[in-house]
Amino acid sequence: MDCNSLGDCSDARIVRIYEYLDGALTLADLKEVKAHLDHCPECTEQYDLECIIRSVVRRSCQEHAPEQLKANIITRISQIRIESGH
Amino acid sequence: MTTIEDISTLAGAGAPAQESLRPGRSLSGNPGQRVDSRAMTNESVDANLPDAGAESEAQRRERFERDALVYVDQLYSAALRMARNPSDAEDLVQEAYTKAYSAFHQYKPGTNLKAWLYRILTNTYINLYRKRQREPLRTSTDTVEDWQMAQAMEHSPTGLRSAEVEALDHLPDSDVKAALQSIGEDFRLAVYFVDVEGFSYKEASEILGVPIGTVMSRLHRGRKQLRELLADYAAERGIQAAANPAAQVDGGTK
Repeated sequence: MDCNSLGDCSDARIVRIYEYLDGALTLADLKEVKAHLDHCPECTEQYDLECIIRSVVRRSCQEHAPEQLKANIITRISQIRIESGH
Repeated sequence: MTTIEDISTLAGAGAPAQESLRPGRSLSGNPGQRVDSRAMTNESVDANLPDAGAESEAQRRERFERDALVYVDQLYSAALRMARNPSDAEDLVQEAYTKAYSAFHQYKPGTNLKAWLYRILTNTYINLYRKRQREPLRTSTDTVEDWQMAQAMEHSPTGLRSAEVEALDHLPDSDVKAALQSIGEDFRLAVYFVDVEGFSYKEASEILGVPIGTVMSRLHRGRKQLRELLADYAAERGIQAAANPAAQVDGGTK
């Protein structure tokens, strides 16, 4: 498979795959990358790896704020209102 | 540093036209996540928008609590990537919401509220916490040119074997957070805002207050560093699993 259409070194290809995943390509480029991915196992492997990394990072950063935090914010906000009240 | 007045400049941050081109294909993640997070930002564009000037203070507060407080978990998650511990992260979020409420009359209804809040959070962090640190602020000199140069100089991506890819997919959250925490802060925030929160380059540039080229440069380097660190963790876990297959079963990662 000719991967040069995505870039002339593996790092440039990775950038292209990043842009593809980031939604930063024009429709024409998007189609080109997609067509390439459909036929190139090597680039698809990189694409899959990047997807896994993003999904793993997203999964790991799903913290919930402590219950008290929201209540504290509401309290602070109401104080602002009182302090600057008419 | 950016002041609260500058925050209003973010009001124009909208979804880029190419947003709909974002591919939905995802190997093991949640393909709908990015789209969902963005769909919220435009939901009220064509609705009857509140007139911020005409509403009473009580109405404004109600609107703030209804529209802005839903992002508290997400802002807290982002704050954990900034602050050094959960307690500081809580303070940071609380401070950011206080500032956001004080400046809420500057927020233009129908524009990207989440991005506006993230910008305030980031500014609050820079003003409150980074200033205290001894080391000077890292200057944002990395430009597009730097990025292109870095691109030209860097080598092939990490080659992972399939067992390591498998291990990567099952890395415990603690490993992933540790890896994220150990890459440079500027890189970490760029990766967080784009890869976790799904902001566009433009939105991330507005949140971070740096040019788009800088966001791309930081993303590129951050992702590369993160990939290498995760590969190390995965290789370690993979070796452990291979050495003691029972451990992986007991670990309940599958």
